[in-house]
Amino acid sequence: MARARREGGTRHIFPKELDMTISSIEERVVKTVADILKVAPDRVVSAARLREDLGADSLDMVSLMMDLEREFEGSISDEAAAKVATVGDIVALISSLAAQKTAVSPAS
Amino acid sequence: MKRRVVITGIGVIAPNGADTETFWRACLSGTTSVASIPDHWREYAEFASTLWAPLPSVDFPRFRISRIELMQQDRTALMAAAAAEQALAMAGLVLQLRDEKKNTYTLPSFDAARCGAAMGTGVGGIVSFSRNQDNHIQTPLIPFVNQEGRRLLRHPPRFHPFAVPMTMPNSAAASLGIRYGLTGPNTTFCNACAAGLVAIGHAYAAVARGSLDLALCGGTEFLDEGYGGIFRAFDIARTLVRDCADPAAANRPFDKRRSGFLFAQGGCAVLLIEEREAALRCGRVPLAEIKAYAESFDAYSVMALEPGGAAASRMILEACRDASVAPHEIDYINAHATGTIQNDDVESSIIEKIFGNRPLVNATKSLTGHAIAASGAIEAAVAALSIRDQTTHACKNLDDPVRPLNFVREPAAFPIRNALTHSFAFGGHNAALIMSNVS
Repeated sequence: MARARREGGTRHIFPKELDMTISSIEERVVKTVADILKVAPDRVVSAARLREDLGADSLDMVSLMMDLEREFEGSISDEAAAKVATVGDIVALISSLAAQKTAVSPAS
Repeated sequence: MKRRVVITGIGVIAPNGADTETFWRACLSGTTSVASIPDHWREYAEFASTLWAPLPSVDFPRFRISRIELMQQDRTALMAAAAAEQALAMAGLVLQLRDEKKNTYTLPSFDAARCGAAMGTGVGGIVSFSRNQDNHIQTPLIPFVNQEGRRLLRHPPRFHPFAVPMTMPNSAAASLGIRYGLTGPNTTFCNACAAGLVAIGHAYAAVARGSLDLALCGGTEFLDEGYGGIFRAFDIARTLVRDCADPAAANRPFDKRRSGFLFAQGGCAVLLIEEREAALRCGRVPLAEIKAYAESFDAYSVMALEPGGAAASRMILEACRDASVAPHEIDYINAHATGTIQNDDVESSIIEKIFGNRPLVNATKSLTGHAIAASGAIEAAVAALSIRDQTTHACKNLDDPVRPLNFVREPAAFPIRNALTHSFAFGGHNAALIMSNVS
């Protein structure tokens, strides 16, 4: 699958990633969350609440969303970001955005 | 009762060197950074000047600057942090980690309330503003633009949540204060080409009068918004070097064939200054002692030096008096020397009248180009390094000097006891700093 190019202004949600399986998304989310919030990776479990359990304040949430955008080379809308409360929510969000991108579409 | 103030650390990011010693070696070997302006700029406008001094890439992680900080701060603040790290390392100050998540530190053995930061910048976070404005304007435009037009529109994918703190000119100084927990006064100066020196001067005065014991001070500038628009502003004002036929020879301050200044992509210098006795007690080795700082204002023109140099001359003499250093005891002058016809003519006349041809004179901008506010601080750094090493760099491309001053033709061992550095800025702001050998 050809990787979609980012052109000035065109908003691709996520490029067509070869390895966007749930487990790889999860791994990368855990790594990113652990790195941004400076917590041990074994605390970054699916049910962990970013604010209450992992100590994220509002600035951390902004940093986290920006770093996830960098990690997965895409954009997360403000509305989607506002709904994120747990680590599992992040994994679900990224998985669904990746799935939208890999849906069957006309060959480019 | 004035306390004595010393420079114990220096950090530099300049077109010819991304850390202090690399920069200094480059200066002493006459190494510059000159290149043709990026090709794509010419898709937007025609330029009379076609050369600039690009910055080298900076290894920010080497200076403990995190990925998140790189995403959330303007280049002026990032360079200030990198330069501050260099200065603190040179002084041998060991930092204590305060908050791992925020990447902040403390300076143990200092009262934080007596430590401050002062930075000068000409246009602050203008590039961050510009990039966000690009996103703001271009996003609704894109659907109406064809493929060829879209090629010319280059904006970041997101309007940055931190657009405000990235744009504000105080972000570099604030970022230093936050990073090191400095709760003393945190100030930003915007006196254009003199701002970096003004910041150092005011920080020096605060330590001398006893308000502060330590300050990180300097200048920072980043002028590349991606399309050559900032370059164009200087170009259209006819300030930039025009004779670009031979890029290596184009930038020639004080030479009769000069034709304007070489625009630098940006730059930064941060000095660590401290009260002298405490620094010595802690075993820190001062590079130089700051003896005096003076300012004056031309009240003449926003873009031209007052041709008689009256205010600038008065300022230099005042600095000498405050330093208790007579003009004939100044061994070295790091000139402002942008390379414009007018500046170098007026400035060389001022120097000749006050000092004759006794002191060594050089022009750091002949090696770095003009980085606006950063230059005043970079040149203060050069003066301090010249005192430390009792040598200084040559005037690049000086073949036929505008006046018979004692210009440095090649580096050599020079006895430098007292040095003067001064800057003259758009608006008419003049600043001068005198520093001396530590005895």
